[in-house]
Parts: sequence; C-alpha cells; structure tokens
Amino acid sequence: MTEIETPRVKELTPAELEAIQLERPDFEVKLESLSQWQLAWRRFKKHRLAIVGAVLFFGMCAVAAFGPFLLPYNFYTIPTPDKFVYAGRPPSLAHPFGETGGLQRDVLTLVVNGARLSLLIGVGASIVGATIGAIVGGVAGYFGGWIDNLLMRIVDIMLSLPLLFVILVVSKFLGGGSWYLIMFIFAIFSWPGISRLVRSLFLSLRGEDYVDAARAAGVGDVRIIFRHILPNAMSPIIVAATLSVASVIISEAFVSFLGFGVDVTTPTWGNVLSNSLNFITVGNWWWPLFPGLAIVVTVLGINFMGDGLRDALDPRARE
Amino acid sequence: MTGTAHLVAEAPLARDDLLLDVRGLRTHFKVMDGTVKAVDGVDLSIAQGQTLGLVGESGCGKSVTALSIMRLIDIPPGKIVDGEIWFDGRDLLQLSDSEIHDVRGNDIAMIFQEPMTSLNPVFTVGEQIAEAVRLHQHVGGAEARNRAIESLRAVGVPAPERRVRQYPHELSGGMRQRVMIAMALSCHPKLLIADEPTTALDVTIQAQILELIKEIQARTGTALLLITHDLGVVAETVQHVAVMYAGRIVEQGTAEQVLLQPKHPYTQGLLSSIPGRQRRGRELSVIKGVVPNPFRMPPGCKFEPRCPFAWERCRASEPSLAATDRDGRTVRCFLHTDEGASRRGAYEAAAVAAVRGVVAQ
Repeated sequence: MTEIETPRVKELTPAELEAIQLERPDFEVKLESLSQWQLAWRRFKKHRLAIVGAVLFFGMCAVAAFGPFLLPYNFYTIPTPDKFVYAGRPPSLAHPFGETGGLQRDVLTLVVNGARLSLLIGVGASIVGATIGAIVGGVAGYFGGWIDNLLMRIVDIMLSLPLLFVILVVSKFLGGGSWYLIMFIFAIFSWPGISRLVRSLFLSLRGEDYVDAARAAGVGDVRIIFRHILPNAMSPIIVAATLSVASVIISEAFVSFLGFGVDVTTPTWGNVLSNSLNFITVGNWWWPLFPGLAIVVTVLGINFMGDGLRDALDPRARE
Repeated sequence: MTGTAHLVAEAPLARDDLLLDVRGLRTHFKVMDGTVKAVDGVDLSIAQGQTLGLVGESGCGKSVTALSIMRLIDIPPGKIVDGEIWFDGRDLLQLSDSEIHDVRGNDIAMIFQEPMTSLNPVFTVGEQIAEAVRLHQHVGGAEARNRAIESLRAVGVPAPERRVRQYPHELSGGMRQRVMIAMALSCHPKLLIADEPTTALDVTIQAQILELIKEIQARTGTALLLITHDLGVVAETVQHVAVMYAGRIVEQGTAEQVLLQPKHPYTQGLLSSIPGRQRRGRELSVIKGVVPNPFRMPPGCKFEPRCPFAWERCRASEPSLAATDRDGRTVRCFLHTDEGASRRGAYEAAAVAAVRGVVAQ
C-alpha cells in the first residue's frame, strides 16, 4: 500500500480542536492579551540606555530613601572636629567624599541627605505640575470655546512670569525656605507648559471615533476626559513629566545656590554647592565636586530614561 | 422652509405609535465663510420596531441627522436651530444634559462607520461593553462583565469569555464591528442607529454584519435607523426608505416603492448609477454635476442644476415634500404636482429603464 494514511488530526471538528487548544497552557500563554503598558514595558526593557538611566535614577532614589540610615554620621549631629580648622580635608577612607571646611562635616553625609530634598522637590513638583497641567489642558482642549480661551490666557500669563523673581518675592515675603513651599512654586511654574501639551493632545484626540462612540453610549464629559481621553494622552505626559524632574532638580540647585531656595541649613545639593563657594579658592575641590556629580548623574539618568520612555510609549514604534 | 409636509395640528393623533418622529430638523454649522445648512428641514419617523434606511451621497446630511437625534453635534460650530425630535413621548431637544446622557446608549444606541477606530485602544473590549451597562443599568462590576460576555455571544463572537479580556488591536475589523454592535445592544435600546455600519468592511464581512443586524433587529424588536449610501444594503435590510439630498428629504416610502418606482429624479439617478450585469460593457451612468456648494444653494429645487428633467418652475421656488398617492409616499418634486403633469411621462420612462437595469440582475 503506497497510500498515505490520513493524519487523525484532520478528523477533529473545529470545536474539538478549540477544546484541545484551551486545555493546553502553552497555547493560552500565546494568546495572553497585553495592555498598552505591558507592550511599552517590553520595548523599554530593550532600550539599553534607558535601563542605565532608570538604574541611575532609581538608585539615587534608593540612596535618598535608605542612605541616611546606613551612614555612620547623622546629618543633625555634626561630628566634633578634632581640631578647629578652616580648610576641609580631602577624601580618605573614613570620609570617601572628603570633609568640608569650617564645621568639618562629612561631604558624603551631606550629599546623601541632600538627595532627599532635591529628589523630593524634583519629583513632587513634577507630579503636582503634571496633574494640574493635565486637568487644565484636558478641560481646555476638550471643551474649547471660552473655557479654552480663558485657561490658555492664564497659561500665557504664567509663562511670562520670571521664575527667579517670584521665588525671590515668595522667599522674602512669605517666609520662604520650607521645602514644600519651594516645591509648590516649581509646580506652579511647571504646569503651564504641560497644560499646553495636554491641550494640544486633547484637541486631536477629542475628534477620535472612540470618543464619539463613548459620547453616543451616554458617557459624561468628566468621565470621557479622564477615563477615555487621558489614558490615550498619557505617554507624552509621562515623558514630559519625567524630563521636568530633571529641569526642576537643576533649577532647585540653581535657586538654592543663589540663596533663595530651601533654608541654607537644610542640605540640598544646591545648598551644599552654595556653601562650598568660599572654600573653592582654598582648594577644597571635593566639596563642590560630589554634590555637582550627584546632580549630573541624576539629571543624566532621568534624561536617558525619558528618551527610552518616549521610544517605548510611542505607538508608531510598535514592532 | 417653503411649506413642510407634516401638519402639526393632526400630528398627536396619527403619531402615537411612532417611536421616533423628527419634525423640521435644521442643523447648521457656522464656519469662517458663512453658515453650512447641513440639515435643513428634515422630517422623518420610525414606528416601534420598524426599520428605516436613510440614503444619500456623501455630504447630504445623513450623519448630521443621526448625530442631531443623539444630540451629539459639537456646539460650536454646530447648532440645532429649529425642529423637534420626538422620541418615546419626549422632545429630545428639550431634555437637559443629564437627561440626554440617560437616553444615549440606553434608549438610543449607535453603531459607527469605522470599527477600527471606534473602540478605545487602551481598554479591553469587555471593559468597554461593561461601561455602558454599568452606566445605564446600575449593576455591579461582575454582573456587567457577565452581561458583556452575554452580548458578545449574542452577536456571534466565538469564545466570548476570552474575547472580553482582549484589546481592540487584537481583533479583526469584522470582529470589532461585532463588538460595537454588542456594545450598542448591551442595554437593549429601543432605537438602534447604524451609521454606514458596513462601509469600512470587506464584502464578505459586510454580508455577515448586515445579516447579524437584521437578525438581531427581528429578535429584539428594536427599531433601526440605517444610514447608508448603498442601495443594495437598503434593499436587503429595511422596510422604509428616506432619500436625502442637500440637507433635505427628497423622497420617502417603503423600500419596495422607492427602489422599484422611484419618484424623484435623484433617486432614479442613484439607481441608474448602480453597475449592473445588464449594463456590462456600457459606460457607467453617473448623476452629472456635484452636490451644490453649501454657501451658494440654488434658489429653487436643490437638485435642479443636476436634474435632466428640470424646467423653469424648478428654478423659481423649492417644491415641498408632498404626498403623491394614497399609500403614504412623499416626494419633493414638481414633476408630481399638477404643474409637472405634462412632463411626467418622459421621467417615468427613464425611471422604468433605471429600475429594469438593476432588478434584472
């Protein structure tokens, strides 16, 4: 007999086939549905520089969170100087980042403690700013008309205010210096930019068919803005908010350096830098170097991460 | 409007059985160059459980009519400037925003043209169907999810338990349109508006989807307003037909009447431009000219510039939508008034030829 026997699989009905497939776990895994975020995470993982950036940034966050508990020196109890010196001491085994001049504090302790407020202000201001920006931009872009006009003119006014001047005024007249006040000011200055971005996203997404479909299904305006359109506008908002963390950290350092930021006795990277000013000429290079490096590393990490997020969240980049 | 067909005085008596009764609807859009009268005096009605096809070429105001019924016109630039939309004993145009939210999706549901873009890409199809159910039927999450699975099963989606967890991008066009239909039907609406539901699908799927809509309509007894430019779809799916041109209804009647005995030259033109087997090898017939510029509408009949049967009367003023015979047909054309009696013969010969070309297929 040369006739080839018909494979038995062929005799199965489509229903039976499906039953078999459903019982096979490996088949189920293949059919697993991935949300937009899961797909984005997949793409992000492949972006090497972004992973480096994320490690740098979250590493710095971990240092800020746990570092102060692991160090031998408490920021609040200044180690008693063994002798009264004006110049600091260069890095040594006991003090890897060196010691400051004047009160002879451990630079490592200052940098680690400074990370707390610098990151807190950067992340906090960006989150608050992005939230306000998303709400204002979403409402303006979705409703349009006079609401849009009013909100965008407020944004225009906000964007024309000079940051430094406002901070100066606030810190002098509102008793500035507390970190949450500084954070709030940075948030106030970061939302207008984000609200413009969100507005433009909403202007285009508002015309999407699924928005019409949701309206036709009887979904209310507020729910459409926040549940239907906002998730679709999330990617650029996340990227913008991430990059804004970097710019807030730099601005905070800058403002503190000029003496208008958080109270000078509180360690932030800007304050540590600012205090080192008079000792640079004495040759204490380690005092400004390490807080400066911390800023550079953090900002660089955030920017790498932002680039990776942009690629991962851009739907056009879908493989 | 130069005289409307409906007589408001007799309306309440005769129209008790009507589910939807649109009277003198005018929806205008204010744009930079002036006002576009997208819908300018539309009357149409659908009885409980009946099906009406709204036919016309692109830009004639079909979709705007549907969106006006749902009150989904963007204001600005659009505005419903006049008319009444009676639905189930209420004038939808008088309802507050929250009342109309309750009507949308619950009493009147809509299926859109583009299944590929009408589903939100960030939610699973189950979440999207369940949302409407939770919103209108006030049931909990688990119950809404079960209802979503049920409605997917009702529209013939295989393995609905698995499908509810999938995202729109994982489904084919036909599947997505089924999801849209499931979503529309999940709250058991009294009226289903389908705006070109098959235009974006390929031909084999089109037939399936039409079959499904027909079957569901028959099973659930929901009324159907089917918007299409495809006369073939109309012939297969609906009982009544209204033909629209330049924001107005030009002819109304049962599908059989309108398709087999078109009274308006525009309907006749549409029928003769269907490519048929009888006309193989011959040049395709077209309606000459284009839809009139919305800013410079002809003063008389809006179809007059393109109408092969037009005469001076048609330029002088616009005909009203008037009853032609006793069987409830209405047409907006002077050919069917006393003034056009002498010219009717030539038109009817052309109409018979047009119908023969299609029906003989």
